[in-house]
Amino acid sequence: MQVAALKPDTKQVKIEVKNLTKRFGDLLVLNRINFHVAQGEFLAIVGPTGCGKTTFLNCLSKLIPTSEGNIFIDGEVADPKRHNISFVFQEPTCLPWRTVRQNVAYGMQIKGFPAAKINERVDFMLDLVGLTETQSLYPNQVSASMVQRITVARAFAVDPDLLLMDEPYGQLDVKLRYYLEDELVKLWQTLKSTVIFVTHNIEEAVYVAERILVLSNKPTNIKAEVNVDLPRPRSLIDPDFVAIRKHVTELIRWW
Amino acid sequence: MADIQETIQDLGRQGSSIADEIQQTVRDKKPLTIRRIVTNEYLLHVLSMTAFLLVWHQAAVSGLFAGALATPWQVVERFQGLMTDTLAGLTIWGHIWASTQRIFIGFVLASALAIPLGLFMALNPYVDAIVKPVFDIFKPMPPIAWISISILWFGIGEPSKIFIIVIGTFVPCLLNSYNGMRLIEPELYDVVKVLGGGRWNEIIQVSFPASFPAIFAGLQISLSMAWTCVLAAELVASRSGLGFIIVQGMKISDTSLVIGGMIIIAIVAWLSSLLIAGLEKYLCPWKRDIAGL
Repeated sequence: MQVAALKPDTKQVKIEVKNLTKRFGDLLVLNRINFHVAQGEFLAIVGPTGCGKTTFLNCLSKLIPTSEGNIFIDGEVADPKRHNISFVFQEPTCLPWRTVRQNVAYGMQIKGFPAAKINERVDFMLDLVGLTETQSLYPNQVSASMVQRITVARAFAVDPDLLLMDEPYGQLDVKLRYYLEDELVKLWQTLKSTVIFVTHNIEEAVYVAERILVLSNKPTNIKAEVNVDLPRPRSLIDPDFVAIRKHVTELIRWW
Repeated sequence: MADIQETIQDLGRQGSSIADEIQQTVRDKKPLTIRRIVTNEYLLHVLSMTAFLLVWHQAAVSGLFAGALATPWQVVERFQGLMTDTLAGLTIWGHIWASTQRIFIGFVLASALAIPLGLFMALNPYVDAIVKPVFDIFKPMPPIAWISISILWFGIGEPSKIFIIVIGTFVPCLLNSYNGMRLIEPELYDVVKVLGGGRWNEIIQVSFPASFPAIFAGLQISLSMAWTCVLAAELVASRSGLGFIIVQGMKISDTSLVIGGMIIIAIVAWLSSLLIAGLEKYLCPWKRDIAGL
């Protein structure tokens, strides 16, 4: 456990956030945030409640404009039309009128992938998340955890430059969450996507991420950066795991 | 590639063990007891219907309502006769068809106008701003209030009746398609935006399918409104239709004709709403349930 250097120099930088600032009128929410994400890195972002995590993600995904600063993908200003950005929302965002299979294909259709490639890729993704047998059902016919897996599969399916996840498992019970976290790590290991995972659950962050950014209270800035250099699969009761978890908890508690 | 395969298999194994529950229910086989027979849903349906008919019959026979109440059997006989005999030149089928035809034409006209307009209003704030104030004037006006003016404009023929139906069905059709599209979860649009889709993607992929169920709810309301309107129009001035049968029965003090007309309206209106429900089921398959659940 050590505080990492700001720029991970062993890997190629994929995402660069420079001076990201967001104001709503006089209210300064995000205050000059700077960080990098390496190609294929799994980065978790944790912070106290109300620190502007959602605003932060909305800026990163370009859903709302930034006041100052910007996010760069491969050195260019991020643009959903040009870059491949994926978002797993906290709320289930499956389209009720599409089957499980059509939902997984949805992202690729918006992106204009050729039909043959979509088909092949959907088969692969359904297999990967274990939804092959339920592919012809509608979202209201499957369980809540499966609905979230559909959106996760949809997000990974477009082979994103940047995958943003906003507490995707916040509304699930502990058992399902553990299971889906394992699945998420395997998806990431298999598909090598660059992931930014926002959560308020510190244990979850330590379990899935390679590196954790701890946010401060409003106006939000990066308070600390923690490298999670633990072997996988990780154990929640491993002393090193517990030490990192406690360290991050302390960082959040004593602002 | 080998380790990917392994990962897939690994995930597959886990997938079947947990969090993969497709719910299955088995019909429970309880022993047949008296309590179960007495509380059987269908038996209770039959009992309540029988009781209703008996009370009706008794009320008719005992001369309640000054004798202006036909027994159930008299109603059946009267309408059996009307299947071959004519009333004002039409058998009962002819009168049913006359009303249904008016409903159909008015309903199709109104929904063809109101649904696209409602969707446009929800999609475009300028269209909304232009149409809404005018629409808000007409919205609370009961369609029946239009009968006099429509007869003055279109005479007592078919056009005036269809006009009333259009007026009556227009409002619920428009309101439902308008609200259905406005109440779509904003996150569904965010998904399209993040993926780099444009406005057209949002409309085709999200707005239209998401507003379908609300549109169909509007069609159901419109349909019952249409039946109210066609009856009112036929009661006022008509030589055919189910409303005409009722008025005719009243004029010649034939209560079996009046009551029978009412019952037939209920049946035909119910059948037409089943038709809409069937259409919705066909066009919105995601609203279906899992068979046997």
